[in-house]
Amino acid sequence: MKRRDFLKVGSAGIASALVGTTGLISWSRRAHAATISKTFYITDGTITMPDGADVYFRGYSSSANGLDVPGEQLVVQEGDTVRITLVNTLNTTHNFVIDGVVDSGAIGGGQSKTVEFVAGNAGTYMYHDDRNGEYNRLLGMHGGMAVMPAGSSDELYSGSPTFVQQYFWIFHDIDPDWHNALRNGSTPSSQYEPMYFTLNGLFARPPGAPGAMDPEVDAMVDPRSALHGHVGDRTLVRILNAGKAAQSVHTHGNHMEWLTENGQIRPDVWKKDCLYLDGNMGALDVIYPFEVPPDSWPPATKGAYPMHLHSEMSQTAGGGLYMFGALTDIYFE
Amino acid sequence: MFNVLEKSLNRPAMGMRSRDGGGGGGGGGGGMGGACYVYPENLITNPNLVSPDVVYQRGIDMDIPMTMDDGNVVTMWGFTDGGGGMGGGGTFPSPAMRVRQGQIVHTVLDVNMMWAHTIHHHGIEPHYYSDGVGHITWDVQGASYTYQWRPAHAGTYFYHCHTNTVLHAEMGMYGALIVDPPEGIGTLYSGGPTYDTELFWVVDEIDSNWHRLAWDAGTCGGNVGLHSLNPDYFIITGVDGSGSTAMNAAAISGTFQRGTKVLARYICAGYHPQRIRFGGLTGTVHISDGRVLPNAIQATELRAHSGERYDVIFDLDTRGEYIIETDIIHWVSGEVLGTTRSRITVI
Ligand SMILES: [Cu+2]
Ligand SMILES: [Cu+2]
Repeated sequence: MKRRDFLKVGSAGIASALVGTTGLISWSRRAHAATISKTFYITDGTITMPDGADVYFRGYSSSANGLDVPGEQLVVQEGDTVRITLVNTLNTTHNFVIDGVVDSGAIGGGQSKTVEFVAGNAGTYMYHDDRNGEYNRLLGMHGGMAVMPAGSSDELYSGSPTFVQQYFWIFHDIDPDWHNALRNGSTPSSQYEPMYFTLNGLFARPPGAPGAMDPEVDAMVDPRSALHGHVGDRTLVRILNAGKAAQSVHTHGNHMEWLTENGQIRPDVWKKDCLYLDGNMGALDVIYPFEVPPDSWPPATKGAYPMHLHSEMSQTAGGGLYMFGALTDIYFE
Repeated sequence: MFNVLEKSLNRPAMGMRSRDGGGGGGGGGGGMGGACYVYPENLITNPNLVSPDVVYQRGIDMDIPMTMDDGNVVTMWGFTDGGGGMGGGGTFPSPAMRVRQGQIVHTVLDVNMMWAHTIHHHGIEPHYYSDGVGHITWDVQGASYTYQWRPAHAGTYFYHCHTNTVLHAEMGMYGALIVDPPEGIGTLYSGGPTYDTELFWVVDEIDSNWHRLAWDAGTCGGNVGLHSLNPDYFIITGVDGSGSTAMNAAAISGTFQRGTKVLARYICAGYHPQRIRFGGLTGTVHISDGRVLPNAIQATELRAHSGERYDVIFDLDTRGEYIIETDIIHWVSGEVLGTTRSRITVI
């Protein structure tokens, strides 16, 4: 069952197999490099937006009849051999690229290809299709890859501030006119104007809205997105922007420790409540420290706080529907 | 019409997000005046209140005329100083709050109307009862609510409405929030540098088409254009910033003796990214987002995005006139949409 069908059905449980069982990136360190194999099926379909519009997408999917936007998270460690098999179920040509790491070359319609590379520097990467410029990435062909430092389970890079758990926040923005044009094989001619905004492929729902509190539908509770921790559970978040709009990532509850910007380690760790995330594959790594919210009185150790984009247009869907955009929740448990 | 309000009382202990999913009827969410997913849970009293050191009373004014340099008048919304009625008295931006680190502060929001609002103290990280995030905590509608917070870090913050935020904050519902260290005004943070005077550069953009919308526009669906902010006015600290007005406005621009240490508190209050250029001055950035930088940095310009703040001290040692320009940059195209100008003259 494709996610679009699931989204139309809008009930919990049906699609649980598609998204995986845990949102946390679980990772145990290994003494030795390994070979990590993954098969992606290049698929397409439509996904229903919160206002009911059906929009065309393509994705790197984990099954031939699925549609995963973004693709499943990859977590490897430095020195691992990563073997990606790509099965193109479409009749358009695609590729699989991690900038500076691997480029599959063209994979024609109906063809398959396996690429292999050795994971290099620890950090956060986006895999994407750049065969047709940015268009396939915008259509949904993107995902995140984490390379862990060899032999380490609690650092972003060797010697970095440490964490106990990690997540990806992959943001995206969608101009349905562009998706329609690309579906028809034409080049978008209108000015890009995003109308929908997602976090890890999902839209938030305010309480009471259809799909609210359903982890398969609602980005507020999607286990891949919503942070859960006790005080002291320092949490790495790998932030990627697959869309075109520059965003401001804003957390409530705690400031973020800002470790990297676009793959570069920051000279000092600043504590920020808003961070500038560039459009077109901007990247940030931050640690959400799960400290007692410093301005709470009496001191609060439990509660829920939002992470939302402060570039507030991104909090809407279809030109309205505030809080159906790219945001999630942070639970102090 | 209070069905949503009653439902809210059934919340589980931790369940500020766990409303039952039924919604309030056809459009979902219910609420008054046709709004959706707004929760006027004024029967909730903040359970954590203790005796405050400082109290700010805020009311609502949704008819604040702002005359632009071209003569056009744009309606702004804002908070009033003092609670109470709909009788006006609001300003744009809203009156500042200025407190001392460690004080227990109460912000009492009095919404004497059937439209919902909140106050979120941006960058302040209180208990969630005091976080003021509409829709998922408590919208304040036809009643009053008290937020309690105790700022731990000196620096520049701002407060704004967080109901239908995309619209309400753009309509001007924000004001500066300054936290001084125990040493008081004149010291940036405890043990940190001193300054002689302050400027406030709160840079924002206005799309006057948005200023004809209802308070709950879009909440039930329909394309009311809130995904697309196409500003026609560029504002600095409540003044039309494109021309010369801001260059002669107190607290935004000024003429100073050589040797003066000027603290500029810069807030990116719009939704598009900005780039601020100091016109030939080099500033020292000591604090961003209310947190002291591990090492201060020297800067001749900064880029910032929505909600970011930078506290910059200028040691004015060279006579001259310096024009500080802030470009407002389209979030997708990168095009400069407009520029605000302020001035520092050193004599
Ligand atoms: Cu409001
Ligand atoms: Cu804010």
